[in-house]
Amino acid sequence: MPHSPSLLRVARQLATDRSAAEDLVQETLLRAWRSFDQFQTGTNARAWLFRIMFNAFHALARKMGSRAVLMPLDQASAETNGRGQTGFALSDAAALTEALGGLSLEHRTVLLLGVVEGFTCRELADILSIPIGTVMSRLSRARQALRDRLTPAGSASKSERSAAVCPEREARELR
Amino acid sequence: MNCGEIARLAPLYITGELEAARAAEFDRHLRSCPSCLEEVERQARLDARVREVILAQGTDVSELDRRVRDLIAAEGKGHRLPRLRPAWRRWATVAMGSAAALVLIVVGYGSLGQHVPRLYADAAVDHRLEVTEQQPRPWLRDPEQIALLAQQQGITRAAFHAITSRGYRVLRAKLCYLDGRSFLHLVLSDGTHEISLYLRQSDGKPLPGPVQEIANGKPLCMSDLAHSHVASIETPELVAVVVTDQSADAARNLARFAAAVL
Repeated sequence: MPHSPSLLRVARQLATDRSAAEDLVQETLLRAWRSFDQFQTGTNARAWLFRIMFNAFHALARKMGSRAVLMPLDQASAETNGRGQTGFALSDAAALTEALGGLSLEHRTVLLLGVVEGFTCRELADILSIPIGTVMSRLSRARQALRDRLTPAGSASKSERSAAVCPEREARELR
Repeated sequence: MNCGEIARLAPLYITGELEAARAAEFDRHLRSCPSCLEEVERQARLDARVREVILAQGTDVSELDRRVRDLIAAEGKGHRLPRLRPAWRRWATVAMGSAAALVLIVVGYGSLGQHVPRLYADAAVDHRLEVTEQQPRPWLRDPEQIALLAQQQGITRAAFHAITSRGYRVLRAKLCYLDGRSFLHLVLSDGTHEISLYLRQSDGKPLPGPVQEIANGKPLCMSDLAHSHVASIETPELVAVVVTDQSADAARNLARFAAAVL
């Protein structure tokens, strides 16, 4: 099934363990098969599948009525091994994985779909059923949040931001 | 276009969704505003890193696909589907094997990132997403528009047309970021396979990686990744990175050709 690796990649970041992620993808593919008559030929099948997966995911979250279902894998890992947010002792990749896992679900979702899976902002708006303006601002905030998490204590990046004032912006502020 | 608009429109710029006139305005601003350029490049670098790390995690779906096919076949025959495993309940539990998974992620990434320069790892990931997996992207397909885009990136028409001679055909093109630098991504066909050729103006810095040979007086570097073969050359004017999942020879041949004509 051509899109199952892609679906599983994202599902793993949403679910708390591999089995739950596989079940979410399984449910997605079954729902897609059952409602294939609703798929409009010529539209993006991959985006349609992801829309089904997020609907299934949110339905499950409502059903469970618990934030626990949204606990990211790596946050769980950090809590169980007692290391918290100190992933910088590990490799760069581990720190990034941990930082991603620590983002809010909204931020993690837009980054996974937009950055990893390569959906355009318009496709993201369709998949997540939100306005494109919201997608754009959410993507920007998600990137910033990730950068803040990757910067020890989260302070350097903020000072870095204020130091890196664009000359044009600086001139405007001085007027 | 001011800095505020640049920050607001950056997500559309990065995905190539800005219409041509707005994208040109965006580019003009970046050329005149170092801090906005740095900000966009930092975003692109972080994006490339996120892609690398997530894509380095294996996704074996053979068992999952088999299970779904069985379920669909059973449903097609009118059998009652087995209930989903009670694994749904596990959503609320902490993953017992997550620490081991994290280790595997790190080990998996290490095999990609330890010996392969970032430029080639980015190129391989980009090729896999956009060419092998054919993820939807706003490609330019009109040869004239592609030539124009190449010119905007400092690639002369003569160089662009030279690449398209001798059996290689340009199928589509777009801009992308590799290792924080803007490249023109050309997807070429040799008649049977699609090959990625990434081009940018040279900045005089030597390309990373082991030099395998000197092709037409230019050093040719090669890197083999898990599913891709990367070859690169640098002329005084241009940097060219070739990625194919076909064979190391196919990558080397196109790099040699680029060394001869660019």
